[in-house]
Amino acid sequence: MAARPVVQLPEAVLVRPARPVERLDDEARALAIDLVDTMRSSPACVGLAAPQIGVGLRAFCVDVTGHRKARSCHGEFVLFNPEVVFAHGPIVGREGCMSVPDLTGEVARAARVVVRGLTPEGADRVLELDAFEARAVLHEIDHLDGLTFLDRVVGHDAVFRRKVYR
Amino acid sequence: MAHVAVSAIGADRPGIVAAVTGALVDRGCNLEDTTMSILRGHFAMMLVISTPAGVDAAELEAALAPAAAELDLVVAVRPIDDDVPRSPAGEEWTVSVYGADRPGIVHRVTTVLAEEGANVVDLTTRMIGDDERPVYAMFLDVTVPPGSDTGVLCGRLETLAAELGISCTAHPADADIL
Repeated sequence: MAARPVVQLPEAVLVRPARPVERLDDEARALAIDLVDTMRSSPACVGLAAPQIGVGLRAFCVDVTGHRKARSCHGEFVLFNPEVVFAHGPIVGREGCMSVPDLTGEVARAARVVVRGLTPEGADRVLELDAFEARAVLHEIDHLDGLTFLDRVVGHDAVFRRKVYR
Repeated sequence: MAHVAVSAIGADRPGIVAAVTGALVDRGCNLEDTTMSILRGHFAMMLVISTPAGVDAAELEAALAPAAAELDLVVAVRPIDDDVPRSPAGEEWTVSVYGADRPGIVHRVTTVLAEEGANVVDLTTRMIGDDERPVYAMFLDVTVPPGSDTGVLCGRLETLAAELGISCTAHPADADIL
């Protein structure tokens, strides 16, 4: 159990829908730990989805603790098989992603969401999120549907270089 | 007032915009719509400018020659027709395309768009990632005819994406007017 390499486009696992987690066994709990360990290994990382470490399963972790744009904050959490049960009020914000080299983009996301999923221990968990935490969770759930922020940019001129021009 | 199209491209360095626009301002021209950007290390300018009476494209090309020589720019100036029809109106959509680079992505995607009556109004492509595994990313703003079945367009783009092994998604881009 340790941080794993983060895969980048054009890796196929990033662009196909992930499968539901069928059993909350030791393997699933190990995945939860690896997700958190990998997130922790990059200081700026506030969330990671299983496909980003090469695993095509519906699982992600998020922790927006201390982020200046965060309002709601549930600390560190991992959810399996998450679903969005309520979403309201799109606002545009700029996103980057460890799996998308070189680019950032303006993306409209719901400002308030309610998300439901299973904890690694198998408990049903319902989270009410807003602002940056909502954005982070919606970004991660998109990964589980084979989508990156590039699929949601608000226009051709809403994509920006993260590094130098070449 | 007449309009001309000016294009200039050359290895990027400070002062290109200042030099080109300086020559145009000196002849009494006014910059209207322009796009300027770095394309793989080359600074590329496309300008539509209005020109005062008696100033033609040939004169402007001559006026730009010193700047072109100094900065090693390829410059072209051509008159353009003011009586062009408006681009077709429609619903605004954004199309995102990305995946491992291969020949023909732009052509295949835009062919589907054209066949479905969608009009490209803006398009940007970027090569991202490292040289061993380059990723091609393309973003288009398009208008689709009012009332058209965008489900058909999205379905065709999905089929094409599967064939080419790339990602291609379209979504409405209508602005929230607040």
